[in-house]
Parts: sequence; structure tokens; C-alpha cells
Amino acid sequence: MSSDATQKQTRARRKAASFAVLGAAAMLALSFASAPLYRMFCAATGFGGKTQVAKVAPARMGERTLTVRFDANVARDLPWRFEPEVAKLTLRTGQTATVIYKVANLSDHETRGVAAYNVSPEQAGAYFDKLVCFCFQEQKLAARESAEWPVVFFLDPALESDAMMRRVEEVTLSYSFFAAKSAPPAASAAPTRTMSEAAEKPKS
Amino acid sequence: MASSTTVDAHDRPRGLGRFLFSTNHKDIGTLYIIVALIGGLVGFLMSIAIRAELTHPGITIFPGLAQLLHGVDPAMALDAGKDLYNVFITVHGVIMIFFFVMPALIGGFANWFIPIMIGAPDMAFPRLNLVSLWLLVGSLVLAVLSLFVEGAPGMHGFSGGWTFYPPLSANLGSPGPAMDFVILALHLLGASSILGSINFIATIFNMRAPGMTLHKMPLFAWAILVTAFLLVITLPVLAGCITMLLTDRNFGTSFYDPAGGGDPLLFQHLFWFFGHPEVYILILPSFGIISHVVSTFSKKPVFGYLGMAYAMVAIGFIGSIVWAHHMFIVGMSLNAQRYFMFATMVVAVPTGIKIFSWIATMWGGSISFRAPMIWAMGFIFVFTMGGVTGVVLANASADRQLHETQYLVAHFHYTMSLGAVFAIFTAVYYWFPKMTGYLYNETLSKVHFALLFIGINLTFFPQHFLGLAGMPRRYIDYPDAFELWNVWSSIGAYISAVSVIIFFYVIIDAFVRRRAAGANPWGVGATTLEWTLSSPPPFHQFQTLPRITGSGHQ
Repeated sequence: MSSDATQKQTRARRKAASFAVLGAAAMLALSFASAPLYRMFCAATGFGGKTQVAKVAPARMGERTLTVRFDANVARDLPWRFEPEVAKLTLRTGQTATVIYKVANLSDHETRGVAAYNVSPEQAGAYFDKLVCFCFQEQKLAARESAEWPVVFFLDPALESDAMMRRVEEVTLSYSFFAAKSAPPAASAAPTRTMSEAAEKPKS
Repeated sequence: MASSTTVDAHDRPRGLGRFLFSTNHKDIGTLYIIVALIGGLVGFLMSIAIRAELTHPGITIFPGLAQLLHGVDPAMALDAGKDLYNVFITVHGVIMIFFFVMPALIGGFANWFIPIMIGAPDMAFPRLNLVSLWLLVGSLVLAVLSLFVEGAPGMHGFSGGWTFYPPLSANLGSPGPAMDFVILALHLLGASSILGSINFIATIFNMRAPGMTLHKMPLFAWAILVTAFLLVITLPVLAGCITMLLTDRNFGTSFYDPAGGGDPLLFQHLFWFFGHPEVYILILPSFGIISHVVSTFSKKPVFGYLGMAYAMVAIGFIGSIVWAHHMFIVGMSLNAQRYFMFATMVVAVPTGIKIFSWIATMWGGSISFRAPMIWAMGFIFVFTMGGVTGVVLANASADRQLHETQYLVAHFHYTMSLGAVFAIFTAVYYWFPKMTGYLYNETLSKVHFALLFIGINLTFFPQHFLGLAGMPRRYIDYPDAFELWNVWSSIGAYISAVSVIIFFYVIIDAFVRRRAAGANPWGVGATTLEWTLSSPPPFHQFQTLPRITGSGHQ
């Protein structure tokens, strides 16, 4: 083989190898990008029961009336009591409602928590709009402090034209509070509170 | 075609140097096969320990094993034994996948025969090839070390299953360093496989002999090409996935921790985006090997060559977009389940094309039932069995009953443990005369086949019944009602153990007796380029490149 042909061969091999390296690097990048991309996708579509954030209340009222149940949970290592004032509300689509959550820090030191949340059934996420919620940011409670946090929300009247929502009579809004990761370790673990369990039967 | 009296272009390393530094694809292939033999033997012994424990209800073997291996205090032996059982099922899976089937088929046989089959003197990047090999060895060392450091609190080794799901693999389940060792082992292994795959891609695209177009390339080369692409696309995702786990464990991130806004399901999606193509990575090289063996011993070209090649491409592509069928019960939306269910079933179409094409290759052929052919027919039978139960499991509704049961264990062992392993033995018996220049005792290799075929079917077929009856996998104990089929399953495992002893006897016997094989022991059906070379092939083959003429494929 002449040296010219050898050089051409070497270039061709390097080209094939660089394309393969590029493909591998792209997939690595994509694996790290998958979490933020999925989050953006859920926020945009309400996929997986992700609730929507609204700036203004809807202009018109809808026709249907649905029941919204409230579920509240606290992780074992966060010494909080956390429960909604009412177990459920019945409201018309387009009607803005407020529900108060009562929360208390049972420990003798400051604790911080962050809530994970969604609605069930999942297809309701796209139509569940929150105007105000404590879950939008991390929350801080001083020792023995208690507070009342409002959630202001409405059900988008657009759900009436979605076939997947036709048989949905009830929507459950669920919160789970976890200790914020950088928080000082909670010394005394309070018993886990799932007050909604006691107050209501689980949805079928 | 090629002269066997080649002159070495440069000094060839000898002695220990040949093992440590050789960049020759055949030497590296041999070393890969040695690694695979060691890995396979260790993984197999572990499976025997698992079957011994499950023979009867009650916990009998592992507490003693824990005292023996780790010097556990007798008072703690029961709990340590339970954890050790889970370490064994975890390590058995990891070793069989990453240190047995992959090094044997991809590192070993593909390294040996891809350059020869496409008429190339060596791989495109011989030194990169050496790097791949030693990265794999380093990975094996890390994986073994993980067994002797703390995993779950107070226990040795990681015991959360080969899928490494958090929170079992997070600080919550395994605070000890064992999981960190496993993660770093997987990193090295991933780097090794990606480098190896890049090497294969560059070799197959650029170094085919003059006249060998892609559509004339042997099917084993097609199989390895698709496998290499799958590895390049999916292994980086596994690398990212376990890197996030590593930072979760050690640097306070919360990719998989809901307390910090993360989601453990993210791990499962990323893992299975790699994990499902991985099972096709394990089986596609087998498809290539079986095609050559069936064609050789039927003395006919492969039926539907193009269909066979593109069926593998289709399997690779569809196999990459069906990963969430491993996760039907995690709470996915109904539409997502629908998609993953139907897409999974579609995989059966190209797989069916392959099965029927093998049968059509045999049809009307002049079949000689030499040892490799019998192994290949065994492969077709067991792989079809495993494929059928795969379609059953693809149903999201049936999966609710069958997931994490012994039925699933039976399914993936029929495709992997029986399918891939039968293909490995097919390849061993097909290419052993070429690689060593010696013939082996064919009668004994058929006895090996008969015992393994009976043993392994007896092991795994009753597990279908156990799974349908509700016996879960990954538990050390079970209710008395499951005893009958567990006893039979264990007897099958012991029969397989006898067959493995026969295998080693056959190999040692061949080396001791040194019966010369000649260039082509298989006759007119063996048409690929490796049979034009001497046995064993010269250290550097094809100093003058072979020229492929005619319209037929290889």
C-alpha cells in the first residue's frame, strides 16, 4: 500500500471514530439533560399530574362541578404537623377557591421543608391551576412556630372538552413535605402525620 | 487467497509481554475469552449456591457461607446469610452480563473473527483494543473488591440487585462504600465497551477487503456493527445515570432523592434506556454466529440474507425505544403503557424473521449434525421459548401478575442463560479448531450439549410454574407449597454443573492430544474468509488483501 493510500485510510478511520465519540458524548449530555427537559415537558403539558401555575383567575365560569380532595404527608425525618383545614371542597370549574393548610413545627429548633406535589388522576394536572401556593418555594419554620398557608386554585373550564376528563368526578391534590437537604438534622423524629388518612377513606 | 507464509512486519512480543502488551487482535481476543471463562465460572458457581439454597424451604446454605467468606459471628449469621444471598444474585447478574457474555461474544469472538471475516489485517486501532481489554480487567478487580467492603449497614457487598435501583443503592439502603466500588467498576467497564465499539465501527466501515460491500459482509459482522452502535448510544446514558447516583451518594446532590426535588424513577428510566438495549447487545452477536453455523452445516447460503441483516438493524432500533416495559407498575399513564406494550410486541416481528430464516436455511439443505450444528439448533429452540414468554410479559396487564416473579426469571434465562450461552458454546465448538489448530472430541461435546440442554431446561422450565403460582424472585426462602418444582429446578442446575465439567475436559483433552484440524474442518459449507487461512491463522493475516468477486454475499 502506498503511503498516500495509508494516510487516506488513517483519515477515514479517524473520521469514523470521531463520529462515534461525538455520538457517545451527545448521549451522555442528553442523559444529564433528561431531568430538566422532562420537568419542562411536564410543566408545559401537565403530564404526570403536574399542576399548572396561573397568574390570573379565569374570566368565565364553567358548567361542571367537581370535588377536590386534599392529601397532606410529612416525611419521617421532618418534625412537622401538616394538615388541610378541610378534607375536601366541591366547586364549579372556573371558580377560584382557597384552602388553608395548618402547619406546625413540633421541634425546638428551626426546620426547613420543601413540598413535592401533584394531582391524581394524572390527566387532571393540565387543568389544575394554582394562583398561590406554599409549594412554590422552600418553607422555614422557627422552633415551635405554627402557621396557616393558603392555596388558591381553580379548575380550568377547558377540562370539560377533554374526553379523558369526562368520567373524572374527583381530583385529589397531594403534598408531601420533605426536610430540605441542607437543613440542620432534625433531632427528634415526630410521628409521621397523614391526617387525611384518618379523615377520609382512600379514593378507590 | 492469502499466503500463510507471511513475514512479520515488526517484532512480535513473546512470553509474558505477549499477554500484557500485545496489540494483535487474536491475542487480545484470546485474553478476552480467558477473562470470560473466569467470569463465567465464578458466576456459574454462584448460581449453583443460589439453587442449593432454594432446593428446599428454609435457610440452610448461606448463613454458613457468610461465616466462611466473611468470618461473621455465628449469632449474626442468619441475617448476614440473607444479605449474602442478595449479594450473590446481584453479583451473579453483573458478572454473567458484563464479565461473561459480553467479553466472550464481543471482546473475544468478535475481536478474533471480525477482522478476518472482512479480510482486514487487524482492528482499526490495535492499541485502543488493548486499552479496552485492560479497562475491563480493572473493572473486574473493582467489582470483586466491592464484595469485601461494607454495603448495607453491617453487611459485606452490594445486595440491591443488578439493576441498582435507588433508594436501595442510595445512602438510604447501602451507605457503605460497596456501591461506590460497583459504580466505578461500571464506569471503567462502560469506557472499555465504548472504546471497543468505536474500534469495531471504524474497522467495519473502513477496512473491508476490496469488493466486499456492506451488503456482501458476513452476518456476524452485521451483528457486531449493530451491537457496537447500540453500545455507543446507550452506554453513555448508563454512565450518566450512575454518575448521578455517585454524586447523590457522595456530594449531596438529589437527582434521585424526592426530598431535594429529585425522583427515583428517573434512575429507572435512564437505567432501562441502557438496560433494555443491553439485552439485545447480549443476543445480537449470537444471532450472527448462529447464522454462520446453520449455513455451514446445511451447506447452503443463509436464507434471506438482506432480511437477516436488516432484521438485526430493526431489532436494535426498536429495542432502543421500548425500555419502560420494565416499569409497567411504577404508575405510568395508560397511554405510555399502551405504547411500550405494543412497541415491545413489534420486536417479535424481526426476531421471527430471523428464526424462520434459520429454519428456511436448514430446509432442503444437506444437513450434517456436527457438534456446532446441534448447539445452534439448541439455541434456536431455547431462544424461541424465551421469546414467546417475552411476548407474554410484554402485556402490561399480564405483567401486573408476573413482574418480579420466577416467571420473569425463567424468561430472561431462556433468552440469556440458555440463548446467549448456547451461542457461546456454538462459537467455541465452531471456531475452536480454527483458533487453536486442534480438533476436539466431538462425541463428548455432544454429550456436553445433551447434559446442558436437559439440565438447563429442567432448571428453568419449572420456574414458569413457580412464577405463575406467585413465587417472587430475589427471596432466600419460600412457602412449602413451592417445594416440588424448586427441587426439580435445583436437580437441573446440578446436571448443568456436570456438563460444565465435561466442557473443561473436552478443551483440555483437545490441547493434550493435538489432533491437527487443517484449514477447514467443516467442508464446503464453510465459505467465510477465516476458513481460507491456516489453523491457527498466521500472526498477521492478509498481507495481500483478499479480493471479493462475484455477486454473492459471504
